[in-house]
Amino acid sequence: MALNRKIAYINLTTGEIETKPIPISMRKKFLGGRGLDMYLMYNHVKPGVDPLGPDNVAFVSAGILVSTLASATARTHIGGKSPLTGYVGSANMGGFFAPEMRWAGFDHLVIKGKAEKPVYLWIHNGEIEIRDAKNIWGKTVHETQQIVREELGDREIKILTIGPAGEKLVRFANVMTGVKDAGGRSGMGALLGSKNLKCIACRGTMDIKIAHPQEALDYNKTFITQITSAKVSQTQGKIGTPFIWGSTNSWGGIRTNNFQYNQLEYSDDIEAESLDEVNIGMAGCFGCQVHCRARYIIPDGPYKGVYDEGPEYTAQGAFCGEPGCTKRNTLLVCNHLANIYGMDLLEVGSLTAWAMELYEKGILTDKDTDGLELRFGNDEAMIEMCHRIARREGLGDILAEGGLRAAKKIGKDSIKYLIHVKGMSNLHSDERGTPSLALGIATGSRGSDHLRSRPAVDLYHLPEPVLRKIYSTPVAYDGPLTSDYKDYEGKPWQVFWHETCYEAVDCLGICKYHTTFLAATGPNFEEWSRVLYYNTGLEMSPVDIWTVAERAYNMERLFNLREGLTRKDDWLNDRYFDEPTTRGIPAVQGRTIDREKFAKMIGEYYEHHGWDENGVPTPETLKRLGIDKEPSHVL
Amino acid sequence: MAKETTGATTMESLARGRTTGKFRCVNCFVRISPPPGAKTYKCPHCGFEWRVFWISPTFPRIRGPVWDVNRRLAAEEVSKQRKGGK
Repeated sequence: MALNRKIAYINLTTGEIETKPIPISMRKKFLGGRGLDMYLMYNHVKPGVDPLGPDNVAFVSAGILVSTLASATARTHIGGKSPLTGYVGSANMGGFFAPEMRWAGFDHLVIKGKAEKPVYLWIHNGEIEIRDAKNIWGKTVHETQQIVREELGDREIKILTIGPAGEKLVRFANVMTGVKDAGGRSGMGALLGSKNLKCIACRGTMDIKIAHPQEALDYNKTFITQITSAKVSQTQGKIGTPFIWGSTNSWGGIRTNNFQYNQLEYSDDIEAESLDEVNIGMAGCFGCQVHCRARYIIPDGPYKGVYDEGPEYTAQGAFCGEPGCTKRNTLLVCNHLANIYGMDLLEVGSLTAWAMELYEKGILTDKDTDGLELRFGNDEAMIEMCHRIARREGLGDILAEGGLRAAKKIGKDSIKYLIHVKGMSNLHSDERGTPSLALGIATGSRGSDHLRSRPAVDLYHLPEPVLRKIYSTPVAYDGPLTSDYKDYEGKPWQVFWHETCYEAVDCLGICKYHTTFLAATGPNFEEWSRVLYYNTGLEMSPVDIWTVAERAYNMERLFNLREGLTRKDDWLNDRYFDEPTTRGIPAVQGRTIDREKFAKMIGEYYEHHGWDENGVPTPETLKRLGIDKEPSHVL
Repeated sequence: MAKETTGATTMESLARGRTTGKFRCVNCFVRISPPPGAKTYKCPHCGFEWRVFWISPTFPRIRGPVWDVNRRLAAEEVSKQRKGGK
């Protein structure tokens, strides 16, 4: 059946491996993926551990629906205490790894200790081996996968790996799979690097038995029709996520020159349609019909002829919007470098843009940059910084420590210009015109984050009745909702709703593009209740799934509070409040976030969660969610 | 069975309201229909002009602003608002 996959505890210090079944009671409480990982994290990571020390624990998992007949269920989750923020570390990626891990017999891996020398894990049909990784240590993400497949003699092996950035403990190194699928944000690649764990290779042929196969197939047809008929899906299938740039840069929602402007003018060369000119065909993740991943060959310059995939919307902002670069080739090359080194491109772009502002303001000098002219719009400098950060060279070594540590080292007023929350750089979006988006990044459990709670549909000017329909399901809500993205009213509920929705998606293992994220018409709790039942046999109502997500999010909050988080960490850089926007359509020009209204929003957001005024879950909330006795050490 | 919804779900009911051949002007939010194959289109309501890309022959989307036009219009509007004390 779909629920008989096991959890494995792997101790890299001792070499001991233990496997256990996952009780149905825990499935009903946390489903799988990110949800169960957060339970495990709260239970297995001791308070105050060094995130790069042997006592931190890495968690790798598949969502509960992965490799079933449900659509777009490809997601792998990686967790642990973040080397970047010291709070929740959590990364999520598509591709083909998680399905293979389930076919190989496992849903969750709990990886403890530190190997004496570089190793990798080989997981196949219920067996786990720890193997020597000396011939792949130092290799890029792409090279590693090729070598391991050759070594094990099977081209179908799926591999989760770190690149050189993870080995060098760049605090925002990614875990990667395939050519470009990235478990980004919060430095899970550095966590694996700190354990001398280069990669995990999986191959499995163990059947996943579907509980109600005919119903699952029939319903999936309806589901797929809804997904593929959405305009957003059709657009993504043609030109990928860079399509978003066409809208956000048109109205002025793009952070440019670090945070000095909110639109990258005359940037036609990096628009999705320009990228489409070098696109050699779209690809998809396991079980997905949208196929939003572009494939390209670099057409010019020193990297001419190199194959890679993407770039995504995030790369447009990271390598062009923030550093003020407008050349397509810069975007293609930097995207490739981030992929082969295995780095969070949002951090690379943000921190480089921050350094550019510091350079232009005289806080950093030529001496600090080893002669590199770190000015906005210098495409060569952007490319060079990708190398220097990954290799920890010069200023790159300082930035590789993450923004807060780098600001401490650089000193002067550098912290004033750093756009971050909880030590994590923000996406390239400029939220001064959109309080709901600003609240989402301020309160995200892993730091400044567009994938934790972003109510993107708030930008669509949807009529109030439509908003009411979306935001009153599956739990009742009769508070305010407005179509105007500049409003503050009702937005805390939207942020809370999306936060819960995205947590649920991550527990199930579904891609966020298959829910109410970019498309208002995306499936959510009502559909998942059916899909879950048909595929796994688990009977859970839409409200039950909502409650699982709430429970898991509260585990994240508990983890962060235990690590010292306070209400003041749910806040934004002063520039959001003090520096008005200067570009874009008239409605977003001259916008700042109002401090008082923003503080009120945070209070309301806490109330929706059942947290007190300090952002601490009340005893009643913990009891309602059945997590008042954690850590319980059931698993 | 966990949940057997008799009526349409939120997803299904919202999908019925989909529009084709139109996009919203990102300045004034009115739904506008560029003529087939148009490369640029001026919003008949607010005058902002957009470069248009066609996902399919009947599916247009905004590629980006006509920069010079929209910069000028935005500057005029913002100046008007400031003079009006808004």
